[in-house]
Amino acid sequence: MIYIFAFSLIYTMIKLKDQLLSAYRNLILFLFLSIIGLTLGIVYVINPYLPSISAMLEKYMK
Amino acid sequence: MNKELSFRQIAYMYVFVSISPILRQIPRALAANAGRSAYISPIWSIFLLVPITAIIIGILKAFPGLNIYEIMIQLVGIFLAKLLVLGYLLWILVSIVAKVSIYSLTLQSTLMPQTRTNFFLITLIILISYALLRGIKTVFRFSEFTLGTILVIFVILFLCAVPRIRMDYLLPISTIHLMDTIIASINVIAVGGNIVLVLFFADKLGISTTKKQKQKLWMGVLVFVVLAFFVSLITIGITGAALTADLPFPFYITVKSLSFFNLLERFEVIVTLICVLSDFIAICVFTIIIVRCFEWLFNLKQKSFLYAPLTMILYYLTYYISKSQFEFDFFYSNVMIYANLIFQYLIPVLLGFLSLFKMNKIKKQF
Repeated sequence: MIYIFAFSLIYTMIKLKDQLLSAYRNLILFLFLSIIGLTLGIVYVINPYLPSISAMLEKYMK
Repeated sequence: MNKELSFRQIAYMYVFVSISPILRQIPRALAANAGRSAYISPIWSIFLLVPITAIIIGILKAFPGLNIYEIMIQLVGIFLAKLLVLGYLLWILVSIVAKVSIYSLTLQSTLMPQTRTNFFLITLIILISYALLRGIKTVFRFSEFTLGTILVIFVILFLCAVPRIRMDYLLPISTIHLMDTIIASINVIAVGGNIVLVLFFADKLGISTTKKQKQKLWMGVLVFVVLAFFVSLITIGITGAALTADLPFPFYITVKSLSFFNLLERFEVIVTLICVLSDFIAICVFTIIIVRCFEWLFNLKQKSFLYAPLTMILYYLTYYISKSQFEFDFFYSNVMIYANLIFQYLIPVLLGFLSLFKMNKIKKQF
């Protein structure tokens, strides 16, 4: 799935380049969100069995 | 101003979005907290739902044609408004992820136990992309057209359920459990507070709104409470409080035992379908809101570039938030309910109070 998402990000970047380059904040926001998404994806691909946020909360709240 | 949405559509959306938690989470949570008296809890929720609806209608009346962000700018200034929008953005983000998570868990625990989560997520992404491509109005009109049929199905289900209700599962109600039912009503209140979503679309309702139009919101709240009451009553009355508290989707199990004059059976498939439709609309509406929050927060003029990275974040966050029904239940009852109370009640009430204090200044502007 990460390859499909990476492709969709590149496709968006090419297709909406005018929109992204029209305002500095558009490009920064797009890159910021893309980096968060890619980081989440890469971490999940490396270790899909990481404990979930709920599991961690449960561990520390009980 | 061109009216993109009507109060009726907003009220229908509110009921539609609330259906899946009413069927899935409310009966279980109420039974776990208040036992056999739990079905009374939706009645207590009226005492908080009525004031919050009145506050929202009051805000809509004081700021005609303005959305929640513009209202917050008027009341608390740009900096605090942006901070609150950031809070709403994070809340909606977590709400979408929770909805996507429970959507796939529902399908896995009912109709498609062998199917992997990513199949549901990919299908959902495609369906939501298609719905959002058609525009915001399509999503609202879908709930407007479908809700009537769904309510008729519920009436049939309730009629079929009446002969099977065991009175010993519901009575006697003891005053000792009264406090438990009041505390348990927090679960109903946290869902009913979705009425606050109206404020996000308030700029699309037009400037001139009549009293009759605003009554649609009251009707929405009434339908919500009645639905929550009857679903809890039937679930506890047929399945029993002890079993309801332990099952992940008690209404599904309850409906399994029902038949319509021995002619029609297997209503559980319809119930699952209703839940899936409700989740679909909720995710669509939340996606629209999250994109609007980004627009407000960063003063964006274009928004199309947000969809691809946001989809990716939401997809992977779904795996990070919870991996099983137990984890989801823990997350919902310990995080989501309290977050809902803050963003659905606390902030709108503060905005309502501030608008009261600044009433004279506001009246000069509008």
